[in-house]
Amino acid sequence: MATSMAVTGIGLVSPVGTSAAEVFAAACEGRSGAVRPAPEHPLHGLLDVAAFSADIDPVSVLPATEARFVDRAIVMALRAAEDALADAGLEVGRDVDPSRVAVVVSGVGGLALLSEQVTSYAGKGRLGVSPYLLPGVLPNMAAARIAIKFGIQGFTSSVGTACASGAQSIGEALRILRAGEADVVLAGCSEAPLFPTFAAAFGNARALAHGWADPTDASRPFDRRRNGLVLAEGAGVLVLERAEHARARGAGRYADVLGWAATNDAYHPTTPRPDGSVAARCMSLALRDAGLEPADVGYLNAHGTGTKAGDLAELRAIRTVYGQSSPPVSSTKGVTGHLLGASGVIEAAIGMLALQRGLLPPTANLDDPEPDPEVDHIVKEPRAAQPGVVLSNSFGFGGHNVSLVLGDPGLKQSGGTG
Amino acid sequence: MKDDIRQFLLQSLKEMNYSTDGIDDDTVLGPAGADLQSLALAELAVRVEDQYGVRFDDDEAEMLAGMTVGEFAELVAGRAEASSAS
Repeated sequence: MATSMAVTGIGLVSPVGTSAAEVFAAACEGRSGAVRPAPEHPLHGLLDVAAFSADIDPVSVLPATEARFVDRAIVMALRAAEDALADAGLEVGRDVDPSRVAVVVSGVGGLALLSEQVTSYAGKGRLGVSPYLLPGVLPNMAAARIAIKFGIQGFTSSVGTACASGAQSIGEALRILRAGEADVVLAGCSEAPLFPTFAAAFGNARALAHGWADPTDASRPFDRRRNGLVLAEGAGVLVLERAEHARARGAGRYADVLGWAATNDAYHPTTPRPDGSVAARCMSLALRDAGLEPADVGYLNAHGTGTKAGDLAELRAIRTVYGQSSPPVSSTKGVTGHLLGASGVIEAAIGMLALQRGLLPPTANLDDPEPDPEVDHIVKEPRAAQPGVVLSNSFGFGGHNVSLVLGDPGLKQSGGTG
Repeated sequence: MKDDIRQFLLQSLKEMNYSTDGIDDDTVLGPAGADLQSLALAELAVRVEDQYGVRFDDDEAEMLAGMTVGEFAELVAGRAEASSAS
């Protein structure tokens, strides 16, 4: 069994709140962040339903000269990182050597701003394109600008595994800490997919929930009437530390990351392998990495986006690992919508709060669960139970599967309310 | 022409969120004066190219940092007049 690492700070930007406590409360209460874009909104007619996060003034996280031309994905990443560091009570340079801090913060990059500039180029040619475009949109720039803002000089990178990239960033952080390459890692993901070109792509791929009179009914993972995902935006960053480093500076911790694994379906660019066999293997490998057995898991936070094929493949994967007796399962995307890679970080945060509070959030809108295969779905109300160990799945286009294993160190009580 | 260019330059700096307080013809554009750094100088060049139909070569971009506001306005005015005369 390899060493586990402590999570000492959480920073979130989500459609249902900006603290772990707020997001967890929304998940437990089934309070959805989904809305219908207003008639004057650029996404009206493209997205039936979307889940927006609160606006963030770029000047609040960047110098005014830099803030003017930067994609929202980078702005949200900076806010989440700032909040995570504050939550951890960690100041780079004061509490940790800058060269011993790493950043792995991911996402697809600033595609909205890129899309705008493509349009501007089409109209004005070369002079329509800003020299600030690249630092405003490149997928490494969330991590890089976090490093610049906080003076972090260690390993800095992003991973590109689509909707698995947030969870994989947390896994990579664990790998870096275990290898002794850093004492602290900021790990997370930020995604800003709510712009017309991306919305049209998801719509034309027939991946989106549609036709729901009440937008809060649209995201319904594992429900028989589900008909797609609800596109959402947001960011999450966690502060991970070697346990002795956290202890030495007297930091409280939310939970430990005990293990992880990543596999690939090797099947299709967008369709998951229907039998879920490689996703099942991912879950088993993550548990083995943590030195645990499937039966040790007391709560499974599923990827469960609400697509027909994806949910079914994941249920089959759970059945493969657990047979007839699964742990309690829910997908919190019923309230958050699908924040692409950032979902994995939000869901890890929810898993850690479940560990702390002994409360398992339900899957919102799960009125009529997919009957086969049957698993122990948490429906309607949160379930009071001390999970001990949480397994969190994230799967992405390209066949990427990532599973994280989180454990309860029984130390830190979370701040805030809810 | 030069006054017009000076005004355009100051307006551009404001739009780029740079301070224009105390900036006059003798202020250097680069870090020693108006504090424009590489990409900001590049953006200023693109704005001026768009507005006045002039062109800066790649190796001229570095030179801009050391120029004063007055020198820059004169350079652009000279080029704009030359291109409109040709």
